[in-house]
Amino acid sequence: MGSRILLSDFAYLAPTTLAEALQILAEKQAVKILAGGTDLLLRMKLGTISHVDYVMDIKHIKELNYACLCDEKQCGSTANGAFCIGPTATLNQIAKNGDLSRLFPAQREAILAMAATSVRNRGTMAGNICNASPVADSAIPAICYGAALTLQSRRGKRIVALEDFFRGPGETELEKDEMLVNIALPVPPADSGAAFIKKSRVKPDIAKISLGVFIERDGTLIKRCRIAMGSVAPLPLYVQKISEGLAGLEMNEQLIAKTAQMVKAALKPISDLRTNQEYRRAISSVLVEEGLRLAWRNAGGELK
Amino acid sequence: MSKHLIHLTVNGKEHELTVASNELLLNVLRDRLYLTGSKYGCGVGDCGACSILHGDESVLSCLVLAVEADGWDITTVEGLADGDQLNPVQQAFLDNSAVQCGFCVPGMVITSTALLRENDDPSEAEIKDYLRGNYCRCTGYVAMIKSVMDAAAKMRGE
Amino acid sequence: MTVIGTDVARLDGIAKLTGKQQYTGDILIPGMMHAVLLRSPHPHAEIIKIDTSEAEKMGAVCLTYDDILINGQAVVYNERSVSVPAATYRDRTILPNKARHLYEPIAAVAADTEELAYKALQAVKVEYRVLQPVYDPQEAMEEGAPQLYDKVYLGDKEVDICNNIGVSRNISQGDVEAGFARADRIFEQDFELPRIYHAQLETKGCVVAPEPDGGITVWATAQSIHGNRQLLGRALNLPLSKINVKKIAIGGAFGSSIQVNTVTPICAALALKARRPVKLISSREEDFYSHQKYPVRFHVKMGVTNEGMITAAELSALVDFGAHQVQPLPFLGCVAGWFASLYQYGGNIGFHGTAVYTNKTPCCAMQGYGNPQTNFAIESMIDIISGEMGFDAIEFRLKNYRGVGHEFWGQGPTIRTIIKSCGVEESLLKGREIMGWSGRGRHTDKQGRIRHGLGVARGFHTSGTGGPKEGEVIDYSSAFIKINEDGSVDVVTPVMDLGGGTWDAIAKFVSEVLQVPLQRVGLSPTDTKSTAYDVCTHATRGVYCGGGAAYHVALEVRKKLLETAGRLLNEHAENLELVRDDDLGQGVVYVKGLRDNQMTVGEIARQAQINSWGTLQYAGSYRQKNCPPCFTTHFVEVAVDTLTGEITIPKVLIYGDCGTVVNPELFGGQLIGSFGRGMAYTLYENLTMNEEGGFTTKPQAASEPIYTSQPVKDGELLNHGALADYKLPTSSEMPLIENVLVRHTDTYEPTGPFGAKGIAESAIASVQAAIANAIYNAIGIRFYRLPITPEIVLQAIQKKAVK
Ligand SMILES: Cc1cc2nc3c(=O)[nH]c(=O)nc-3n(C[C@H](O)[C@H](O)[C@H](O)COP(=O)(O)OP(=O)(O)OC[C@H]3O[C@@H](n4cnc5c(N)ncnc54)[C@H](O)[C@@H]3O)c2cc1C
Ligand code: FES
Ligand code: FES
Repeated sequence: MGSRILLSDFAYLAPTTLAEALQILAEKQAVKILAGGTDLLLRMKLGTISHVDYVMDIKHIKELNYACLCDEKQCGSTANGAFCIGPTATLNQIAKNGDLSRLFPAQREAILAMAATSVRNRGTMAGNICNASPVADSAIPAICYGAALTLQSRRGKRIVALEDFFRGPGETELEKDEMLVNIALPVPPADSGAAFIKKSRVKPDIAKISLGVFIERDGTLIKRCRIAMGSVAPLPLYVQKISEGLAGLEMNEQLIAKTAQMVKAALKPISDLRTNQEYRRAISSVLVEEGLRLAWRNAGGELK
Repeated sequence: MSKHLIHLTVNGKEHELTVASNELLLNVLRDRLYLTGSKYGCGVGDCGACSILHGDESVLSCLVLAVEADGWDITTVEGLADGDQLNPVQQAFLDNSAVQCGFCVPGMVITSTALLRENDDPSEAEIKDYLRGNYCRCTGYVAMIKSVMDAAAKMRGE
Repeated sequence: MTVIGTDVARLDGIAKLTGKQQYTGDILIPGMMHAVLLRSPHPHAEIIKIDTSEAEKMGAVCLTYDDILINGQAVVYNERSVSVPAATYRDRTILPNKARHLYEPIAAVAADTEELAYKALQAVKVEYRVLQPVYDPQEAMEEGAPQLYDKVYLGDKEVDICNNIGVSRNISQGDVEAGFARADRIFEQDFELPRIYHAQLETKGCVVAPEPDGGITVWATAQSIHGNRQLLGRALNLPLSKINVKKIAIGGAFGSSIQVNTVTPICAALALKARRPVKLISSREEDFYSHQKYPVRFHVKMGVTNEGMITAAELSALVDFGAHQVQPLPFLGCVAGWFASLYQYGGNIGFHGTAVYTNKTPCCAMQGYGNPQTNFAIESMIDIISGEMGFDAIEFRLKNYRGVGHEFWGQGPTIRTIIKSCGVEESLLKGREIMGWSGRGRHTDKQGRIRHGLGVARGFHTSGTGGPKEGEVIDYSSAFIKINEDGSVDVVTPVMDLGGGTWDAIAKFVSEVLQVPLQRVGLSPTDTKSTAYDVCTHATRGVYCGGGAAYHVALEVRKKLLETAGRLLNEHAENLELVRDDDLGQGVVYVKGLRDNQMTVGEIARQAQINSWGTLQYAGSYRQKNCPPCFTTHFVEVAVDTLTGEITIPKVLIYGDCGTVVNPELFGGQLIGSFGRGMAYTLYENLTMNEEGGFTTKPQAASEPIYTSQPVKDGELLNHGALADYKLPTSSEMPLIENVLVRHTDTYEPTGPFGAKGIAESAIASVQAAIANAIYNAIGIRFYRLPITPEIVLQAIQKKAVK
């Protein structure tokens, strides 16, 4: 009942280097990383988060603030290089980046579909991902684009595919001493396109359901397709089997309709106060159809 | 709990103050600097009544720890006018009768000002999109949207 | 040139735009304490014991039921005091000894900081005897249902409460049975409207400073400063002369502060106990649980002839008003009145209303006091009948509506007036041209994924609750006006401006009557000590009644001004002329026809002072003897996405009839703002509650897991009181601004100041039905319940397709 003040009793830490931050994570208990705080502070206010002794603000670590194309291979990028996003890059900082907008328009759209500008001036994509909510908008196209996360602790670094990062609502691959230090979006090949669609009660709202599609085209055939959906499962969902099954198939309206029905049949959404499971299922196929068409067109494909 | 010495520049004036780790920027502005123009409407980022400018960007002060704002250059609604001279957004709101109860208005003019610093010729759709995080229960937004368009035109010298 | 009907910057505009306008929460007093409330975690429980000793050890001051007793007795009151005592049920005390809804405040704690107060609150121990709650109004009336009350008071009488029925009212006119017998067809239908929340942007709050003389100074979110003062006097047993409630801006109200807010007496009692100023501001989550809009279940029956005349109508209303009466008695009366006044029904009207206690947040007025609810049912019904019988929906309305010369019930059956101005016909006829009504097509003609529909509905609200005879509701206002010695004017009015521009209208009336330039009319900051009574800014009475009082007082001042001028100019007052001279920036008085022998108003006032004749001033109270309806008509275009059920509104035409338009842009602001709220009521808002622990636990409609990140308590709102999960339309949901058309009818209200009546509440009345009627026109599906969400629309579309 107390959104007017923050009642919790914690110490604020503001390391200025990554090494320092990792040391804190390794040595102290009940530490929460603070990026934009638009999830963390809200949950601390409403008391929906377990006990916090330390809030560690990572925004003073200069080396973590970037959003740019990079060709270092260690971040998990592919042959074409990758667009790398540091953990303190704000959502608006990312969305305003010209390279991102050019190469990953669906990622930009998903970010701009989040909240409203003042939240995006603080919130980060890393925070959105680490919060590990099934609704996380920025995660949906990122899964489709094949994002790879770098998790680091004093013990070392590892790279995890975004779709393997989530374990359940609020649960991730992150170990207690680990932190997300990089998000790499591999630069897509030519003849590829993507789409993002979100349905919500009002525009700045959390999604009732969201969809991302990435398609790599080979003439009239689908070379590679990745479909991901938000708010239909306990975690951001990579619709792996169905997506992979589309490889090599001829793109046409029948395939679109069939795929949409398959996705719909495969989903087991829940009801919550944003919408109910029937609705989620009912419009999942509408979204999949729209998304496939849009991504295909964006990949330069035609549909008759 | 930890205590921190922070420096804030608010509406051009420098402040040095000690804050507790759990103090929120909104409450420091209101209760300690007596700048009560920024309002509490929800405390969870949903209404925009607490919006302030951090440099040129709008930020929700109910979701920022005061200690996070150390070193910030802040403009609150009290700092938008130049003496008696309202800023173009404020003037346009006044001229278009866009104000009713006024409780959302500080946040609304702050966010609109941020928009116009970023884009001096926003379309209606861009304005609506930019203001979508600021609730107004009174006006139905139409006069406000029109005001932002008018202010932009004036700033462009039209 | 008159200032009435022109757009001028509103009086409080600069203050509001620069952040300098003070609201209750902005009051800071050195040494002030901060209070928070202990709220019952049970929807229904007796409070056996409260132990505050640990909290007090932390330096807190605590208030419990025992502290509010006066001579061993708790004062029982109703927060709403606009009705006469004999029509006011009283059932609550400053703090209760039994919690009747979840999160009802049961104790209060004040400390040096809000944080400390919360910590102290956690140290308060409460022992409850948990009782079974009841949530459904129908169930609440069943045998064996948990009883919220045994006894309450009506006026001074003790009355028994049986089966949780708080109020029932049956009102009839003519011969309903005979009317139905004359009809060719009878239509019957149920409608249901949900509980929603005001969501005024400023949460309810209060600051109270104890004064050395034992009195208190109060700043509160209020629609009536005198209402607050009188209730505090009674609840705290203080003489009214010791209570000063300050007029302060309010951040939106929409009816939520017609009654004294629950926090206000608590804060005052706490300040008196602490002997220090205390501030108590609700969090948004708490505010959700303080008051909500009345949900209503209706049954409507109408008889119609083949010629298109309605011969009789009957309305039953079941109201679930929650844990306390914030006056369902006048609410039911008003519902009957709105129903009765829409159409003529051959003079045959029946109304049966029942209002029931449940273990939920109390309901109070919210823009329209039953009018939007009633209007949705009746105006949907009119559309249904038109469709079924092949009438044009506009012609059918024109045949049956109540207009000039007919009776209007402004506040239930006891407050009636004869309609003297009416823009219904104009708005319907012109509106249908503007919106291309004849080309709207039938739903059966429409094709494609996105289907457009056009709908119409009309409504009204009263302007105030005055009338030729006094009724259930108190209505008069007061003003004190004086001409200063330089010709400028001070206006002291107790009337609150909730944002609609009431104060600007009042200033304009005075400017006009005294012919002073508007810039020289000042509205004094004031309070209950220096003003006479005004009932409340409710019932769309600000301009018509509050402004009406100022207008009449200004006329008296004008009389004095002219008499004084006559003395100075050696002329009879009747032979004098008063006009505004814009070059002089003043009013001037001269002998008719002799402009060279003139004095400015300032000179006259100054001479009156120098000669020790006294100040040119007058104070008075005034009651309007009518309650003219202000009318609105909505033409709404909707676009329905038949694949997703989503509804958007590409275009709307809003016609308003407020008589003379005093502030044109603010008039538009009222209509558009109300449209936004109506759209929210129709398409988005709903307070869903966890009713699992109710009296008869029904299996949930859908046996599906409800996932929320937080567990939901019994009786708790599923959104946990978070605005984040109570969706209101944002700027993005509004139509393009060029497609929001606002018009006013050409009308003049003979009983209003300069021909003006009200507008505010009427502006929402017909939004809901217009949208629902448009949806029907688009897809041929009728919705009888709000909100009409995409989920419900899509389900209905799928069901229809299967058939
Ligand atoms: C009004 C409002 C509207 C919103 N609307 C949307 C929406 O439409 N869609 C949506 O998806 N979200 C929405 N959100 C949620 C939120 O804004 C986003 O999830 C945002 O991206 C979170 O980023 P942040 O930097 O603020 O995270 P924080 O709150 O700082 O952190 C979130 C979580 O991640 C952890 N964390 C942060 N960074 C790291 C790291 N580098 N390594 C390990 N753990 C880390 C934190 O400890 C915390 O648990 C909304 C929030 C608000 C307040
Ligand atoms: S108070 Fe900060 S967004 Fe509502
Ligand atoms: S003017 Fe009242 S909330 Fe916007």
